[in-house]
Amino acid sequence: MAKTISLTVNGKAYSGEAEPRTLLVHFLRDALRLTGTHVGCVVGRCGACTVLWNGTAVKSCMVFAVQAEGDEIVTVEGLAQDQRLHPLQEAFWKNDAVECGYCTPGMLMSAYGLLSKRKKPTDEQIKKAISGNLCRCTGYSNIVAAIKEAAENFTQ
Amino acid sequence: MDFPINPPIGERVRRKETQRFVTGTGRYVDDLLPPGTLHVSFVRSSCAHAKIKSIDVEAARSMPGVRAVFTGKDIARHVKPLRVGGSSVLRPVTLYPLAVDKIRYFGEPLAVVVADNRYLAEDAAEMVSVDYDLLPEVIDPEAAMEPGAPLVHEDAGSNVVYKYHFATDGIDKVFEDADVVVKERIRSHRITACPIEPRAYLASYNKEEDSLTMWSATANPHSLRGRIADILSFPEGKIRVIAPDVGGSFGVKIQTYQEELLLPYLSRQFGRPVKWCETRVEHMRNGRHGRDQIHYIEMALKKDGTMLGIKDKIIADMGSTYTVDHSIQAAALYMTGVYQIQNYAVDALGISTNKTTHGSLRGIGKADASYILERLVDIVARQLQLDPIDIRTKNFIPADAFPYRNATGALYDSGQYHLAMKRTAEIAGYGQLRKEQAELRKKGIYRGIGVALVMEPTSSSRIHATGGYASCRLRIDPSGSATVFSSMGEQGQGHETTLAQIVASQTGIPFDKITVIHGDTLPTPYGFGTGSSRSSVVLMPSAWVAGKLMRDKILGIAARQLGVVPEKLEIGDGKVFAKENKERSIALMEIVRTAYGAIHLLPENMEPGLEVTGYFINPNIDYTPDDKGRMNTFSSYPYAAVIAVVDVDVETGMITIVRYCTVHDCGNMINPQIVDTQQQGSIMQGIGAALYEELRYGDDGQLLSSTFMDYRLPSVEEVPELELEHIVTPNPFTPLGAKGAGETGMLGPPPALCNAVEDALSPLGVKIRETPLTPDRILDLIEKAQAKLAHG
Repeated sequence: MAKTISLTVNGKAYSGEAEPRTLLVHFLRDALRLTGTHVGCVVGRCGACTVLWNGTAVKSCMVFAVQAEGDEIVTVEGLAQDQRLHPLQEAFWKNDAVECGYCTPGMLMSAYGLLSKRKKPTDEQIKKAISGNLCRCTGYSNIVAAIKEAAENFTQ
Repeated sequence: MDFPINPPIGERVRRKETQRFVTGTGRYVDDLLPPGTLHVSFVRSSCAHAKIKSIDVEAARSMPGVRAVFTGKDIARHVKPLRVGGSSVLRPVTLYPLAVDKIRYFGEPLAVVVADNRYLAEDAAEMVSVDYDLLPEVIDPEAAMEPGAPLVHEDAGSNVVYKYHFATDGIDKVFEDADVVVKERIRSHRITACPIEPRAYLASYNKEEDSLTMWSATANPHSLRGRIADILSFPEGKIRVIAPDVGGSFGVKIQTYQEELLLPYLSRQFGRPVKWCETRVEHMRNGRHGRDQIHYIEMALKKDGTMLGIKDKIIADMGSTYTVDHSIQAAALYMTGVYQIQNYAVDALGISTNKTTHGSLRGIGKADASYILERLVDIVARQLQLDPIDIRTKNFIPADAFPYRNATGALYDSGQYHLAMKRTAEIAGYGQLRKEQAELRKKGIYRGIGVALVMEPTSSSRIHATGGYASCRLRIDPSGSATVFSSMGEQGQGHETTLAQIVASQTGIPFDKITVIHGDTLPTPYGFGTGSSRSSVVLMPSAWVAGKLMRDKILGIAARQLGVVPEKLEIGDGKVFAKENKERSIALMEIVRTAYGAIHLLPENMEPGLEVTGYFINPNIDYTPDDKGRMNTFSSYPYAAVIAVVDVDVETGMITIVRYCTVHDCGNMINPQIVDTQQQGSIMQGIGAALYEELRYGDDGQLLSSTFMDYRLPSVEEVPELELEHIVTPNPFTPLGAKGAGETGMLGPPPALCNAVEDALSPLGVKIRETPLTPDRILDLIEKAQAKLAHG
């Protein structure tokens, strides 16, 4: 019983077919072909699929596509503007906060969600914001350092 | 070897590959969706040991969107089995992509659904019903060894499928004459790697060309290509395997999997692309598992703590369909670790059980060895009332004894164990820590200090398995940029950066103009998988060799044009110039043009073009045992000293890591930033293994921890302050002096944290022989120790 879903992703209007049970992450990846958002566990535990849903960081495997009808989504593809990396992306690169890159989009979106709401987060707030994002490569320290550095340069 | 290590080798260069990862433009297998792709879901066994009586696929077959359902029997008619084992120590068995008659572990694939999308495929898989004839399970490896135990593989004739024995002369006499003999049973528990990207495969058969392209999240593309050719009886030349971006491996993706071999067959059947991305639950149940060894180990010593000999019996749980034995062998060869112990005996047994197949996992076998040995040393120290640092430094192999041949024939390249331990103690402030510990104990705070020095044999070289060499092809393109074709894929190690650093250093081509191609069997030279920390030990040197060949060629061309011998030429600033007269120069670009287009200007007998292949062979490898059974199958020996400080809450069983100090030696570092990040991640994986992660099976063979809810990976909340330093003792046998940096970090936490926790709880008489150190286990141990004290 597929239905057409219309929503805004990274400021652009999209529509595509989804069944009522289609997960938002699968809709973004398979129907809209925005594959920067990754799938790691599909049970809300690893955070690789994190996106912003109406301004709040959520795991898009825990949302049905139909729930996001008419809403605003931001994915990792929406961070860089006019070919210029977002300060978070720059900081992740500079601080070597990335190895295999699989968790990275989710990490970035959790961090982006935090920085959208708090200009100067504490270390504790940074850790809390990404505590639902698992990374198996880096050991997290460089990720925390990157988010901290980006917060210094972040204006929205 | 000489070490002309020029920049940008050794610099903290930003990684090239990171740019696409932060923009979401990395390309992983699951990101690919060619038109007409069919999707696959597997039907998996709900029991651990059974005969398959019948499989009813009719309901599934008639569901909308379902193209086909195949059982193991259907598939076995069309593909050849993989033969595994069959060496002098490992019994042979056959392996099909799907279980045919018999189920050997919970979650084993037994049928496959092909459908129009993944949701429909999963729906249909649930409609397949299987009738089993249940067999008694063998879950405990020691019970599996008993005569009359149910057999996992009837054709192997026994559950003891691997046997290895080694002993030095006169070992029993050493134990008879010793002042002290300490015996223990210590077990390393079962864990798995858990890369955040699960396994993913996409096979695409092209009917017109009669060719097959396989995209796989594999760490071993060339080997996979050969295996596909073998089981499908299809020409290898018509198969291309591509490992695009791979989201971590840590050993688990280096092996070839049943599902992986089935997809090419299905794609050929349908003439369409066929894709499968596993779920996390499937990954926990079917991805290879690691560790899980029981050691009955004893050490003979003099009263003063001088170590004389070790005897060990290893019982390794290999799970159901064993495919590799090197976890056991790696442990068996290195149980003497970093100590001067030349008397050693081991009996190593590999046991089949009804659990998931055992395989590679970061630190395979070597982590079991270092964990169990470093636990034993601590237990010995406590018994002899010696300081854990003192007993270690008393017995370490001294720096001037390298290269050092251990009892089993392994040749350790280099090391400064005393220095590493001393420096770690300085960083930690060891003396002060002991004083604080005594003060805190008076206040009822259980603080523990754990010491370990772990050594990691790297770059394993095994006949027909890991080959012992690597290669890189290097081309300076007609436009003046360079392309490196690497024989090894990457899963986060940063090869696109480090290989470019090496080539830039050798050839003078700017780092930014060098592109690294990897993971694709079409353009890259043959090579083995990324594992055993071998990239920096053999792959990077192969790029160094290619770079040197290219450099020689460039200088040869310049020599003829400038009339100066190559030895007197230098490369720099985009030019080749005479060392004694920089004015006498030729642009690098001019040499490129000559090599491709003006070949009459090339020196006599020089081939046109600028394309070379560099090979590097692991040095010092003795593949076959000598008359005493000694061999050396690893080429380099990085290590790390650790001092961990923990507080244990005896009310809740919670462990807090107060400090984690470590000094690491992986020889020369091609990119110290990449090494640091690897170390941090590797240590966190070790902390997970020590404290949180366990694959636990029920008595009926059901895997009880198969999601991230019950198999707990460390999150950012668990990261302690890491105090990390390096010392550099270059490997004298490789041109870059590197020893491998991927795994040593993971080896430290299990012994260091267990030693620290036992130290913390020593006033309560707690002994730790089982892990992980979850709060419930700690509380249980405290309770048992208290009860024992109360009953005298």
